[in-house]
Amino acid sequence: MTYRSEDQRAVTPQDRGRFPGFDVLDSVDVWDQVTAGVVLDRLALPGSLAFFTEGEASVAGPLLDLLLAQDREPRVPVLALIDARLAVGETDGWHYDDMPEDAEAWRKALAFLDQDARLRDEGRDFAHLTRDEQVSVVQAVQDLSSEGKSWHGWSATHVWSLWTRYACTAFYSHPWTWNEIGFPGPAYPRGYLNLGVNAREHWEISDTGTEDSNVDPVTFATRVERARNEHQRAVGEVGS
Amino acid sequence: MRSNYRAIRSRNESAWLVPKDGTRTNHQLRTDMRRYQDDDEVDLVVVGAGAGGGVLTQRLARAGWRVLCLDAGPFWDPDTDWVSDERGAHTLYWTEPRQIGGADPVPLGSNNSGRGVGGSMVHYAGYTPRFHPSDFRTHSADGVGADWPISYADLKPFYELIEQELPVAGQDWPWGDAHSYPHHAHPVGGNGDIFLRGARAAGIEARVGPVAIANGRFGNRPHCIYRGFCLQGCKVNAKASPLITHIPDALAHGAEIRSDSMVTRVAVDDRTGAVTGVHYMRGGVEHVQRARAVAVCGYSIETPRLLLLSATARYPHGLGNEHDQLGRYLMVQGAPQTAGRFDDEIRMYKGPPPEVSSEHFYETDPAKPYKRGWSIQTVSPLPITWSEHVTAQGHWGAPLREYMRDYVHWATLGALCEYLPQADNRVTLADEKDRHGLPVAHFSYSQCENDKQLTKAATASMETILKAAGATEVMTIDRYAHLVGGARMAARAEDGVVDHAHRVFGVPNLYVVDGSTLPTQGSANPALTIMALAARAADRLIRHSRRGMTEAHAEA
Repeated sequence: MTYRSEDQRAVTPQDRGRFPGFDVLDSVDVWDQVTAGVVLDRLALPGSLAFFTEGEASVAGPLLDLLLAQDREPRVPVLALIDARLAVGETDGWHYDDMPEDAEAWRKALAFLDQDARLRDEGRDFAHLTRDEQVSVVQAVQDLSSEGKSWHGWSATHVWSLWTRYACTAFYSHPWTWNEIGFPGPAYPRGYLNLGVNAREHWEISDTGTEDSNVDPVTFATRVERARNEHQRAVGEVGS
Repeated sequence: MRSNYRAIRSRNESAWLVPKDGTRTNHQLRTDMRRYQDDDEVDLVVVGAGAGGGVLTQRLARAGWRVLCLDAGPFWDPDTDWVSDERGAHTLYWTEPRQIGGADPVPLGSNNSGRGVGGSMVHYAGYTPRFHPSDFRTHSADGVGADWPISYADLKPFYELIEQELPVAGQDWPWGDAHSYPHHAHPVGGNGDIFLRGARAAGIEARVGPVAIANGRFGNRPHCIYRGFCLQGCKVNAKASPLITHIPDALAHGAEIRSDSMVTRVAVDDRTGAVTGVHYMRGGVEHVQRARAVAVCGYSIETPRLLLLSATARYPHGLGNEHDQLGRYLMVQGAPQTAGRFDDEIRMYKGPPPEVSSEHFYETDPAKPYKRGWSIQTVSPLPITWSEHVTAQGHWGAPLREYMRDYVHWATLGALCEYLPQADNRVTLADEKDRHGLPVAHFSYSQCENDKQLTKAATASMETILKAAGATEVMTIDRYAHLVGGARMAARAEDGVVDHAHRVFGVPNLYVVDGSTLPTQGSANPALTIMALAARAADRLIRHSRRGMTEAHAEA
């Protein structure tokens, strides 16, 4: 098998997950081959970027890392996956009539974000801000979005939706994130036998209440609170 | 009502024409397909092989008509072309450029637009409810929407035929015109179980079904394997789409399906005012196909666009647009989606997303300030769609990851709210051009006050059900579902684009037979109704032609 090396078993992004040992790639041999080809292609080492310029990538890279909390390796190569999509014009077809089509919208929005960064005290590029400073620049766009306001003449809601749509589509199409969330991925021709609340197939793994592969039976509410605090701290420290 | 398979097979053999050896496509049928020349004058060109065009083609081919159906997309083979993967289903959507605007723009593409033979039914969930009798007269009964020029009774026999041909599985249906289904209801998974449990506790009626997924073998089509990827194209051949329910029989009776052929305009002879065929692009080359009549079945965006693009000196505003009705009254259903968190593992990705539904709130409640209502159904988003639900709450970064990591604990319901038809919700041509150099469609959409009230009430009803089932947290995202209208059926040319027989007003041999002809949308998924309308339109054409009549003599 060439799709992973020996030490790449049950990989999750940043080693975070609640299903230790669960590896959807263990089931590749029961997937139909057409699906296997499409999914395994996402594991290939990304080549050099084809769509984003160096300057754009220096903004898009940190932006995508922040949106998806990818703060260390192993990372899903979200920037490369989006770059590949935009390079071949693989969009959903529609675009808002107050915005250009997706490829141009991406380029311009990254330039706007860089402008916002330079408007701060020391006039530094987005790439040269600290992580927390970057968070606050991004959060400002989301704040405008939730207030229904405009950002550089565009609906902030539409920009936010553009970013999160592309980021999440790339991230949650990757087998490593399926390991993280306990989703088994392709299911043809195997299908499922055991349907129902708390029903599992023998190869599905229960949510063990663990995190970072250590036993950590923290309730969902507490975990969310912790994630929110972590997020707020980053936004708040810079904002104050 | 149970099925008589012999009777079904004698009018539509499709399910017996797919292979029984574990492969999903009858390649021999496609190889042996009849092929017309551009110069041949066929009896009918059908534009689009979806719910409307697929049924129309099959019915007329079986009646001996020379039918050619053109489709802009591929002639799918589920074995080689479709994947059991959310991201990989991108090729199933219509992704040619389109613009959206208005106060409440409606995303298209993956949400509601299909591509290729089978149309949007290739990636619809599979729900096939009937409309209620009240849907055909909302203006008379409730003072909103429009009255259809036909009644429920006119459509009922065709609902029954199509339900058997798909076939539809579900429990006995107590709402609207009460009826039963040809196949028994499927077992439900965690999500359906939560809905049934919550509805029971909240005193709301719910039923399993109705879904166009055979329960048991049907012809050579195998049983569902409950893998949960209905929206990504059914690789099993268990879920119905015209690709397997009507196209095989059409081919067996001499129809040609010409795929990868994008119709760019309907050809008109301005001296007579009649349609003479269609212009289409295939492999970068423009062709003209001659035909005695044309039926446009391109759905709510592309049908109005094509009729607008077909303007001539005689029809300067487009075909069927003498009264500025074309493209108007385009509807989408408000589809708020509410998820509830449970300590139990729900694993909503298992089993078909369409499991359980309720039409408890479908009809106008005189005690409420709003008119019409909504239905509630299980929807079971896969990870990418689920991430849209989570990001819509404003979550990003660490909280987004934490919510996503909790995926197996959430159950999700979706409502379909009957948003009202409005004249200004319409398709027009934009300045932007597509790769053929043709203006793209612009779709403007804005909600009215009644729409907003329905969304709010529907969301509250779903929260009630999920909380009654024990949810500790709920979250909702506002979405849209389905498209209908845009070339609506009306009694008079001043009010619509086609008459009760789907004839375009003012053009003698042009028809529209698809979802764009619906004057109202109810709270029902539209696929079954579009198919039933096509079966009805075909029935009329066949009856007249048997009596040697052309459209010029036939006045119903």
